[in-house]
Formats: sequence, C-alpha cells, structure tokens
Amino acid sequence: MPLAMSQVWLVLGPPGCGKTSWIRDQLVRHPGPCAYWRLQGPSFENLEQGLDGGIDGAWLNDQIPELQIPAGQPSDLLMDDRLLRDQELLMVVEVQHFQAAISTCPEDIHPQISKQLANLHLKPGRIVNFGVDSYLPNQDTLNFTTLEALDIDLQDSIWDPNSLSSFWFELVNGAYGDVYRAKALVNLPDGRCFFCNWIVSQQGSQFLPLERIEPPHGRPKRLSRLVVQGKALNPTGIRSTIEECLFSDEVLELHQAPLRETNNNLQPTR
Amino acid sequence: MTTTHAVISCLHANLAALEAVLEDIDQQGISTITCLGDLVGYGPQPNEVVQLVRERAIPTCQGCWDEDIIDGLNACECSYPSQLAEKRGHRAHHWTADQLTEENKAFLAGLPMTLRKDQLLFVHGSPNSQHEYLLPDMNAFAALERVETAGVETLFCGHTHQPYIRELSGGSIQVKVQARGTKTPREETMTLPMRRIVNAGSVGEPRHGNTKATYVVHDPISGDINIREVDYDVAKTCQAILDAGLPDVFAWRLRHGFEYAERAEDASHVCER
Repeated sequence: MPLAMSQVWLVLGPPGCGKTSWIRDQLVRHPGPCAYWRLQGPSFENLEQGLDGGIDGAWLNDQIPELQIPAGQPSDLLMDDRLLRDQELLMVVEVQHFQAAISTCPEDIHPQISKQLANLHLKPGRIVNFGVDSYLPNQDTLNFTTLEALDIDLQDSIWDPNSLSSFWFELVNGAYGDVYRAKALVNLPDGRCFFCNWIVSQQGSQFLPLERIEPPHGRPKRLSRLVVQGKALNPTGIRSTIEECLFSDEVLELHQAPLRETNNNLQPTR
Repeated sequence: MTTTHAVISCLHANLAALEAVLEDIDQQGISTITCLGDLVGYGPQPNEVVQLVRERAIPTCQGCWDEDIIDGLNACECSYPSQLAEKRGHRAHHWTADQLTEENKAFLAGLPMTLRKDQLLFVHGSPNSQHEYLLPDMNAFAALERVETAGVETLFCGHTHQPYIRELSGGSIQVKVQARGTKTPREETMTLPMRRIVNAGSVGEPRHGNTKATYVVHDPISGDINIREVDYDVAKTCQAILDAGLPDVFAWRLRHGFEYAERAEDASHVCER
C-alpha cells in the first residue's frame, strides 16, 4: 500500500500538447523528492503510438538531476523510507492519449491504462487531462485521426550542426511526409546535447540545450534518439538524410581536436 | 530599336524556367541578353539548357558551377555551408558531369570570367571571384570597393539567387596627410559618384520567397532597372528531377521556393585555392 507521504498524478494528453513541459514545471516546484514514469498509451484504430524511447525521461532527468526514474516497480519508490523521510514524494505518470475528450473521473480511465496502473500498484490521486481541464494549455490538442510513427536510434551519433538545422527544417516542413510531431535528443561535436521539439500547431521549433555537457572526446554514451509522428512518412528518405548529417570519426576528430588544444571548449558539467 | 537589355543568371539546368524567361524577354522586344553563368548544377537538364544558350548566342560569363564541372570538385571546397549541402552538391556535381556532352563542357570551359560593356561589368559572383557572394546587406564600403576597383558605374552579378538593386551614393574617401615641418594635417577628400550593384536573381533556382524565375531588365539611357518575376511550370522541372534520379529532396525544395542547398552566409567568402 502507498504511504500517506506520497502522491501520484496521472497526466494524459495527445502528442505534442505540452505534457512534458508542464510536468517539468510541476516537478521543479515540488519541494520534496519526485519521480517520473511513462506508461504505454492506449491503442486507437489508425493511430500508431510513437515510441518515446526515453527522450522525455532523459530530458526531465537533465533538467532535474535528482528526479527518480524507477528501473523496477515504480510503486517501490512510494514506500522507500530513505527517500521519503519527512517529505512528500510526487510521482508523475505520463501517458500519450490521442482522444482528449474523456472525463477526469478515475472510473473513466481507459481500461488499457487502468490495467497498467493496477499491475504497477499505482493509484493516481490526481488526473490531469490535456484537452479537458480548462486550466491547462489547450492550444496543441489536435484531433488526430490517422498517424504513423517512426523511431530512430541515434546512439553514438554526432551531428554537423548546420546539417542538423537543414534536416530539421526539411523534416518539419514536409519534405519526408506530413509530420505532426517530432522530437529528438541530438549530440553536437562540442559536447552539447539538444532537445529538439516540434508540433504542427506550434510556431517554430524548440531547441533546448541540456544542462549536461560532455568533454569533446569522441562520442558520448548518452541517450540520443529521434521520434516522428505523422502521415505518409518516408523513413528511407529520413534515414538517408540523417546519414549525410552525421560526422565520421575522422571528421569528428577534426572538429574536436581544436577544442581540446585551445582549451576553449565548453566545460563538462556534472 | 530598343537599347534595353536583359540580364539573366543562375539557370541551374532548369529548362522550363529558362524557356519561360526567354519568352518573357522576347515579348518585350528585347534582343540583347547577357547571362551571368551557372548554366548547370542541381537541375535535371544541363545539356538542354547549355544548348539553348548556345543556340541563342547569349553572351555568358562563367559561374562557379560551370567552373567546377570543368575543373573538378577541387575548384572550391570551401563554399558549402554544411556537410549535408556538400554531400548533396557532390552528388549533383557527379551526375551533371556524367550527363554533359564533351561539346557542352568545352563551351563552359571557354566562358570568360567577366564581360564588360562601356560602364557596365557583368560577373557571376564578384569581380574578385565567381565564388564570392555580394549579399544585399554586405558592408557598404566593401560593396563600393568591389564596384570602384572594377572601374565601372554598374556591376551586374548573380550567385546569391536573391535579386536586388543597391545604390551606393554619397561615397567618399577622406585622408589626412601630416607633412614634415607642418603643424596642421592637410585633409583631402575624394567624392565618388553613385555606383550600383544589380543582382539578377536566379532563373532556375529562385531564392527570394517564391518559386518564380527572376531576371532584370536595364535601360542604359534612362538608367531604369526592373526586376522581373516569371511564372513557369515548376511541376514539370520537379518531375524531371525525379525522372533523372536526382535526390527527391531537390524537387521538394524547388517546389517550395527553397534553394537546392543552403547558401553560404559569409558575404566576404572568397575561395583561396
């Protein structure tokens, strides 16, 4: 049974509606320990769930280093005396949910979500529903009817920054199909990593630098991924363009060697 | 007979665009045309475009793509702003080099770097290099220097794919000379007459916000210069790109009014090979 000194929030909403940004803001404000978990969203006909691949968790963990992302049963955290002590733990559970118009009553949660929560022994004390709750931003709750998803692992990849700019421009403007949603974690040769974020209903893309900067010594071993959702996607075109944007070992060394020699490189953090 | 002449540039193997522009010029009764180069590159019809320029006997100076096709990729390796643009550019280069006939290659090889007529100079990039970009917001002193050292009143260029007319007026050079034995330096001022840089934009790869082909019409008597925009069958060229096996994204970029590869942002870039 969960202890009294903890609370679980369930955050529901369609792709790109601002769930993760809203969660970040809540977790930053929370004075005690906090945790994050992501559930598989319920399946709807013609709507392919985009595999997050850990992007949101990695982004939140970069912004909030003390954030707990459980490796095992998330409910274990709710009973961890060492973690809780005198403080209240806030655990936020995020779910991608295409159909926004559902009620906020726990009894009305989609059965596929309820089943997952029961298996994890999680009982949400609050349900936050983008597209329903009027206090939430609602500018991005699109009415999706058909959706394809593409997930590309970019582990060990380093991008040419100018090529990344061109590729992202083409991607979100329709060169590889009608993209509704794109997000990525990408590494640059100077050790920075950017969270790239785009939704069709928003003006422009977000390019948010992660707090953690790696030294300019080869390829960092952190999560790097691209997730795209849309219609009539061209995976072959996307993959082949990405290939042309990534640095080979030789070219990467050409970029990183001067940074090491002049000692002007960005200082590694954490 | 009209003295008005037309200046076209950056055809980039786009036959439909070139035919539409020539038709527009013909309808105005203009018989004198000057071309500022880049007949080939990226586009799907290099031989057809070179052939048409040759048939019309249009005086042409050599563009950077025309030079690279003849001299090879070593002609200028520093003009691509990204790895992606470079790889795409190289692919387009190899495809174009394979397609061009020896006769058309010889024609491109024989093109002059500049053409001069009275107080007018015609170049692809700048008087210094086919690869230098004279962007519309380039430092005024540097821009004036390019025209003044060429010894002309009006410099016609292309290369940026952005048509513009820039008047450089009120230019002067002021020097103070402190002679030995004198206490007060002597001031000398040379006032320069108005100079103009006219960029003809691009026939085959417009980069000015829409897909229309651009060129300029100049009346040397009145001094009037008009930038003209011409509709052409963009879809036809896009289909030809796909049929030719060039990258699909070239067609997408052309259809949306974006350049095939990005342009270099450094206006002072001069290849130093």
